[in-house]
Amino acid sequence: MALPNQQTVDYPSFKLVIVGDGGTGKTTFVKRHLTGEFEKKYEPTIGVEVHPLDFFTNCGKIRFYCWDTAGQEKFGGLRDGYYIHGQCAIIMFDVTARLTYKNVPTWHRDLCRVCENIPIVLCGNKVDVKNRQVKAKQVTFHRKKNLQYYEISAKSNYNFEKPFLYLARKLAGDPNLHFVESPALAPPEVHIDLAAQQQHEAELAAAASQPLPDDDDDTFE
Amino acid sequence: MSSADAEHREDEEAPLAGDDEDTGAQVAPIVRLEEVAVTTGEEDEDAILDLKAKLYRFDKDGNQWKERGAGTVKLLKHKKTGKVRLVMRQSKTLKICANHLVLPKMTVQEHAGNEKSSVWHATDFADGELKEELFCIRFASIENNRLFMEKFQEVAESLSTEEENEDATKAAGLLENLSVEERKTKEKAEVEAPAAATSGTVKEDAPAEEKVEEKAEGKVPAAAEEEKKDT
Repeated sequence: MALPNQQTVDYPSFKLVIVGDGGTGKTTFVKRHLTGEFEKKYEPTIGVEVHPLDFFTNCGKIRFYCWDTAGQEKFGGLRDGYYIHGQCAIIMFDVTARLTYKNVPTWHRDLCRVCENIPIVLCGNKVDVKNRQVKAKQVTFHRKKNLQYYEISAKSNYNFEKPFLYLARKLAGDPNLHFVESPALAPPEVHIDLAAQQQHEAELAAAASQPLPDDDDDTFE
Repeated sequence: MSSADAEHREDEEAPLAGDDEDTGAQVAPIVRLEEVAVTTGEEDEDAILDLKAKLYRFDKDGNQWKERGAGTVKLLKHKKTGKVRLVMRQSKTLKICANHLVLPKMTVQEHAGNEKSSVWHATDFADGELKEELFCIRFASIENNRLFMEKFQEVAESLSTEEENEDATKAAGLLENLSVEERKTKEKAEVEAPAAATSGTVKEDAPAEEKVEEKAEGKVPAAAEEEKKDT
């Protein structure tokens, strides 16, 4: 399920389609898993961005090709054209914006027209925010349509691994599948000459004066 | 009234008890995967430090710190070679967010204006390729940060003295090898047999290193092969 220009791998890989309204945090969620960073800045996705994301499980390494699709209609590109051959999906909404939950049935319907009988996870994102608009009790759609539901926060990492774990278990039909330590290979020996070391020290001194992004960040902005 | 309201709100916001309840549809699995042997790559090492922390890397283009992961940071000392490396794993996914050797002359310093965090430079191997990184790590307490800095510095300094000693031993070894070589050529002229016996001393420390790398890398393809069979 890789794009033509993407390298294929010799371990199981799955096409994962991520949909939901614009600004619900699809790209931020994927980025969090890819690099660890939490991107606060909102830049709407145009069309689709595909990212390979690997996990190590007790049943070996697996890969999700994450099709991070545009949530905003005007940037929608091929829309459900991106869903073709999707093997699993995440529908994201924002618990601080009621409308994004109201639109979940539409995303679900469009997805199911193209992909029949695939495991789907509904994610209510931004649960770290104090005054949410959609309370956990008000989320009922997943019960009607047999989806799995997780409350997540891309910001605090709350439940951030759960959607992938659930999908991996369903795709493999193994409820006991779990994530394991990826092998920490021995780093090769490196030698740093004096000039390089002095440069690193200068860079480090400059970096040390920059504040951390979330150092005093107890509340959502 | 307000306190009751607050309590109520908290109840609602707390994660539901049945959070992991499976409400998903029954779908047919599309792959069959067999359990494989798990290798952490840390089997031949002892943890000399093991703390919860949050790691950041410096983004030079944006001139800002970016989160790299939150989880457990370890200083691991190899049982045979004595080499020490820093390995940090993301919690829950257990992926590696830092993996580099602690080298002599490496320095770690406190992050300006924050006693709970410190910064250093390393050539990192977390993604399987060497990358120059500036790291910042933040702990939950000042004590843990101090402990981390002390341990890190202690290792780097002990390696520095070791390196000096090693240089001295190497020099001595070279002299000895020279005389061995000389002897060898002399003996070779007469009989060829003793040459094999002398070769062992020349690269005494090299084979151990090779073995470790082989072991760590060797297990990965094996696991991948097992998967291949099933798909």
